[in-house]
Amino acid sequence: MLSEEETRRYARQTLLFGEEGQEKLKRSSVFIAGAGGLGSAIAFYMAAAGFGRIRIVDCDAVDLSNLNRQILHAQVDLGRAKALSAYDALSGINPEIEVEAVVERISQDNIKELLQGCDLIMDGMDNFPMRYLLNRAALESGRPLFHGAISGYQGQATTIIPGRTACLSCLFPRAPPPATFPALGSTCGVIGSIEVTEAVKYVTGKGRLLENRLLLWDGLDSRLEEMAYEPNASCRECSDVSAKAVGFTQIGQR
Amino acid sequence: MRIKVLAFATFREILGKEKEVDLPGSASVKELLEALAATSPRFKEAAFEPSGALRDYVLLMVNRKRIDPEQDLSRILAEGDELAVFPPLAGG
Ligand SMILES: [Zn+2]
Repeated sequence: MLSEEETRRYARQTLLFGEEGQEKLKRSSVFIAGAGGLGSAIAFYMAAAGFGRIRIVDCDAVDLSNLNRQILHAQVDLGRAKALSAYDALSGINPEIEVEAVVERISQDNIKELLQGCDLIMDGMDNFPMRYLLNRAALESGRPLFHGAISGYQGQATTIIPGRTACLSCLFPRAPPPATFPALGSTCGVIGSIEVTEAVKYVTGKGRLLENRLLLWDGLDSRLEEMAYEPNASCRECSDVSAKAVGFTQIGQR
Repeated sequence: MRIKVLAFATFREILGKEKEVDLPGSASVKELLEALAATSPRFKEAAFEPSGALRDYVLLMVNRKRIDPEQDLSRILAEGDELAVFPPLAGG
């Protein structure tokens, strides 16, 4: 049940999916990997939308060069752990939700523990090795993974539902070499917002997800393109776990 | 034979958004990529290893459907086909 406060807070969006949809959001727990550019946009909109529990994980401290895009953090947060300034920002937007900030580097050794109790995985990472970790964790546990990445004016997004779609490695079998990428806050906003829209749709059971579809945003041209992809029979990540994933309960699935 | 080439990300900065390429007779995806490399040294450097192999992370889509560069480079293109070529974005 929503409180009177919550009913008022979410009045504009319950027009979309009812109090029932809002209760589903309230009952869901999300894992946000990273409190950088993408993670900031993702976390802000998830907190405001009322996802009931948000666990945001980042090991870095706020640097001046982050502030052009990482809107979770302010000038006064310089030098603080990003996860902690994320905690303050998110609790400030919506005191009705539970926010957990974890100052830790996500790794193969701690990912299972970090994901405990979370239903959805939000990709706010800035490199492929970490995304492959998230992808494997998603496949092994049957949790959906909402992928996004940016560079400069451009961004990409897709939605991975284990047992139902191809996985991230089917689409991107090999990582590009590490590089320092240009980053514009508003591009993080576009892609982070798409990831959150996907998560809202997934939880409330609305619309059509980006399943086996890669969305490509070009801000310079103001154009959005769509590409299709399929499970890859020779995928190193899902060709052996897909059989296992079928047995998992998929939380929030329609 | 005329093929439309769509480039994204850094490849777009090199090739432009969209390009029509005329190829004599029938051509495979690999031959089309090599024709592009022959006209643009920057594209060649961005998309190919010094050994001449396509960089392993490059994404290819024919008519907006992913193809597997490990298996489908020899796929023969048809008049009017569209090839999209781009590296994955990685930033956040
Ligand atoms: Zn796969």
